[in-house]
Order: sequence, then structure tokens, then C-alpha cells
Amino acid sequence: MGTVDIRDVRKSYGSVEVLHGVSLHINEGEFVALVGPSGCGKSTLLRMIAGLEDVTDGEIAIGDRIVNHIAPKDRNIAMVFQNYALYPHMNVRDNMGFALRQRRSPKTEIESRVNNAARILGLENLLDRKPRALSGGQRQRVAMGRAIVREPNVFLFDEPLSNLDAKLRVQMRSEIKELHQRLKTTTVYVTHDQIEAMTLADRVVVMNGGVIEQEGPPLELYDNPASRFVAAFIGSPPMNFLEGNVGDASQLILEDGTRLQLPFTNRVAQTRVTIGVRPEHFELSSSGWPATVSVVEPTGSETQITARISGHVVRVIVRGRTSVQPGERIHLSVPGQLIHTFDGVAAPGDHTNIQRAKRYA
Amino acid sequence: MSTFATAAGLRSQTRMGHRIRVLAGVLITLIFLFPVFWMVLTSFKHQVDIFTTPPKFFFTPTFATYVEYFRRADIERRLINTVIVAAGSGLLSIVVGTMAGYALARIRLRGAATFGVLILLSRGVPPIALAVPMFLVARQLGLTDKHITLILAYSTFLIPYVMWLMRSFFISLPPELEESAMIDGCSRYGAFFKIILPISLPGLISTLIFSMILAWEELLFALVLTNRVASTIPVAIAGIAGDTINGANWGALTAVGTITVVPVVIFALLVQKWLIRGLADGATKG
Repeated sequence: MGTVDIRDVRKSYGSVEVLHGVSLHINEGEFVALVGPSGCGKSTLLRMIAGLEDVTDGEIAIGDRIVNHIAPKDRNIAMVFQNYALYPHMNVRDNMGFALRQRRSPKTEIESRVNNAARILGLENLLDRKPRALSGGQRQRVAMGRAIVREPNVFLFDEPLSNLDAKLRVQMRSEIKELHQRLKTTTVYVTHDQIEAMTLADRVVVMNGGVIEQEGPPLELYDNPASRFVAAFIGSPPMNFLEGNVGDASQLILEDGTRLQLPFTNRVAQTRVTIGVRPEHFELSSSGWPATVSVVEPTGSETQITARISGHVVRVIVRGRTSVQPGERIHLSVPGQLIHTFDGVAAPGDHTNIQRAKRYA
Repeated sequence: MSTFATAAGLRSQTRMGHRIRVLAGVLITLIFLFPVFWMVLTSFKHQVDIFTTPPKFFFTPTFATYVEYFRRADIERRLINTVIVAAGSGLLSIVVGTMAGYALARIRLRGAATFGVLILLSRGVPPIALAVPMFLVARQLGLTDKHITLILAYSTFLIPYVMWLMRSFFISLPPELEESAMIDGCSRYGAFFKIILPISLPGLISTLIFSMILAWEELLFALVLTNRVASTIPVAIAGIAGDTINGANWGALTAVGTITVVPVVIFALLVQKWLIRGLADGATKG
């Protein structure tokens, strides 16, 4: 069984607690991405599932077995590391067959499984090479092959694509997705790259400061971020935020007194709020928030515009091409249901951004 | 045009720099090797040729000193003893020191760092301060003039040496190697023996060679702890050099010295390919 159950797990190093009670259930065959900034505890959580870190408090179960005190080798998991960790003194064949040899599987079985994995990953011609004679992408594939050969209950990936160049990363990303669709093995994938998490996972778990901020299907996180942190983390380029007071006249009053008309009415008058709008949700129109264009960046399929609403920088993405020029005055409108609102404003120097989402509309 | 001239100038400049470096290398090597050369040369001289002024580079060589002192200084037995002691203490130290170094490099233990430093500090004690207590202990245990005594005595300074060399070597290896092995079905020991040791072989062997050389040429403990049976070559050299009755016999001294050095050189040549590192390449992104 390839379910993973994490129940109120905590991790401390000495007196410093880095995971503050994390609970997560991962279904059989599910692809879950743990994503968050560095230091958020995502790698620690993965390493605890692998058995490479002790669980300070709480329980981790793989299948219906609690694995807190079970050695990594007895958990029937496979892990792909960021630096691949290929055994340098063994050729590709021996690297991939190592786990099976440890298990004393029959020679013929080892051979057929290694050959099968090599075929899936296109490594047939490299089986006799040593890792040092492989390119980065090939090493990455061998590391995945080593995981596949085991036919484990759970695959664990720890930032497996971070060492590849951008082009190869995109290619390997779709290979990993294809592999998962083919093998349907439960997968936990750690990354700091939200695009990787969004494109690969059935469910994205956003972590921040040792807790889970939000979890859900990728588009759910995109559409309904539970906090300003998630809103800022998911999506590229990131969401625009404007801080101010919402007056009773359905207006957002910015720090400098600029009044922006909101397409919905405020129920609580005079509240400090943060308004969030994704760059792709702005529309250029004849009425709306006035802004001054500072930079126009066409990429062909879309155009990115950097503009200022009375000093506040906002990014706007419009489909296709536009005739807008730097210096030009434009008006930005947003459909009411696409405006996100968050509690209060960020305190100066506070980068945790844990402002809860709030529905005004 | 000017760029061409500059490029050519630069090229000749780097070629010049290369020549200077080679020349310096050759000079330094010559300076280091000259005493050895002089020792070997002197060992083949007749007594009368040794102290001539100016020194003689050309003379009728003789093996007389070798033949005489091979018997007189009991070289054969001492050679065997030195081999036993050097190999014994080298191997013991490499086994213990490597495992200790691995533990210090990888296993999170309270006080491990302090422990490691304490072991290193033990090397700061002057050997002469330890020689007499060691002799007294050995005598109480009935262990004087035995191979095992020297092996143990040498291990007291070889183990810290091996431990610290191997520790830094292990630290340079990515810990994911063992983690991966442990997920693949190994225990911590299995990961150490199946993955880490094979990768460390070049480093391990060079450390072993250095340890054995240190044991091979050690004089003080050998002088204090052995008498006839387990006595080593450096003791013979010291005996000849410190001959208070006849004065130092320079011919004999250089002949025995040469005999001491030759096995080390042969040994080093045999294991030379292991001294070249690089097996650990390709473990990770590289």
C-alpha cells in the first residue's frame, strides 16, 4: 500500500522547533508536491518520511504501518536526491540494480528489471558507463531509474531538477509526469519552484515556517489562496498587492490618499485590508484604476506591462500585443470576483505574510 | 594589428612564465634530493674518499661497507622487524582511524567534536615525555622488546593522524551517498563498507602509505621499547651515529640509511597509481 499518513508531526533540533505539527494524508497513487521557500521545512518533512531524520513528535505511517522507528531500508521507499547521489564506483547497471542486490533478488530478475527501467528512461546504451561519464540529465535519469527498479510503495523526490539547466528542467519535468502517469506510484515531490509543483502535482502543499499554509489541487490554490503568502507564492509573475483602508463608499484608500473604486461594496467600514490582483486578471479599459506605464515587455504570445498606480508598482499581463507605450496613462479594471482581499496589511519588516484571505464580495 | 601584437606578447609571456615555473620546480626538487643523493653516493665510497676536500664525485665504488654492516648491524632481522612493525601499526591504525574518522565526520553525537579535538591534542604531547612511562608500562606487562609493543606504541600517534586525514576526506563526500544506500537496503555499516570505503580507497591507501612511512622511520619509541629481538632499522642507524667509542662511521651510516630508504621508494612506486585521486568524481552533479 502506498498511502502516507502524517499525523501532527513535529521536528526539533535541540530547542529549536522547525516543524510545528504537520498533518497530511497522501492517497495511493497520488502525486503530492511540497513547496515553499527555503527553510520552510519541506525537505525535513520528506527526509522524515524517508527515515533519514528522526520524528520528534507525532506519527508517520506508510500504508497501515507506523514507520517512526523503522530503518529507511525497511520502508520500501525510493528517493531521488538533488545531487543524484549515484555510486561513483559502480556503472549505471550496478547503480540501478544495487537495491535489488541488497535484497538478494535473483540475478535474472535484477537484470530484467534493470533493462526494463533502462528502456523506459532511454538509458540502454549507457548501462556500462560510470556516473562520471554521464551528463547532468543522464545522471538525473539514472537516479530515477534506480528508484523505478525497486518498485517501491512511495517515490520521494528532493528537488530533483534544481541542478539542471532551464531547458533540461522543463524536459525532465514532463518525463517525471509521464512516468508517474505510467507507474501510478505514490509520489512526494519537494521543490521550491511553484511552477514545478503546479505542473506536476495532483495536490500542492504550500509550506511556510514549519507549518502547512494551504493544500489543494494546483488551480484551487491559484484561484482561492487562503493567505497572502500563498497568493504571492503561487503564480508567476506574482500577484500584485495594494494596501490601504476600505471606506464605506466601496473605495480602497491607499496610504497616500489615492482612492481606487472597488467593484463590490464593503460590509465593514474603515478596515485595513490588502487587495490582491493577478497580473493576468487586469484588463485595459477606458475606465478603472488610473495608472502610468513604465515598461512594456512583449514576448509574442503576451505582453507584460509594468505600471504605477500613484507610485505603487503593478504588473499587468495582456494576451497578444498592445499599442501601449511607456509614459502613457492607462486605466486598469478587474472583475470583482477576481479581486482577492486579505486581512490587514503586512507589518513593516514582516515577511511571513500570513494574512488570511477574506471575502468582501 | 595591435591586438595581434598584444596577443602574441601575452602568449610569449605565459610561455616564459611556464618556463620559469618548470625551472623553479626542478631547482627545488634538486635541493630536496641532493642530501639523499649525497647519502647514496657516500655509501659507495671507500673510507678515505668520504672526507676529501673538495668532495669527490668520481671515485672507485665499493660494496664493502654494505657487506660488512649488513652482518654487523644485524640488518636482515631489523629489516624484517621494521616491516612487521610498520605494516602492523599501519594496518591497525588505518582500520581504527578510518572508522573513528567516519564516525566523527558523519554521526551526530553529543561531544563528538570535543572528543575529536582531544584525540588530536594527544599528538601535541612530546613523544619523549611518553617514552619513559610507556617503557615502564611495557616492562610491567612483560612486553618489552616485542613487535606488538611497538605496533601499539606507534598506533597511539598513527590513529589520530589517520583519523583526522580520513575525517576530512569523508566530510568532502556528499552524505546523500550513504543516505541513498541506506534507503536502498543498507545499514549504516553496510553503506560504509559497500559505498564509502570503495570510493575512499585512493585516499585510504595514500594515508596507509604515509602512516607506514612514519612507523618505518620512527626512532624514539623503538630505541626505548626494544632491545635486540624487535629492534628496527632506525635504531641501527642511531647506534652507528652514536658510537661513542669509534666515533660515527659515515660510510656505515649512509649505507644503512640507503638500505632504509630503498624499500620505501619501491613500495611507493608500486602503489603510485593509488596515490592519484579522482575516483570520487561523478558521484553528484560534478
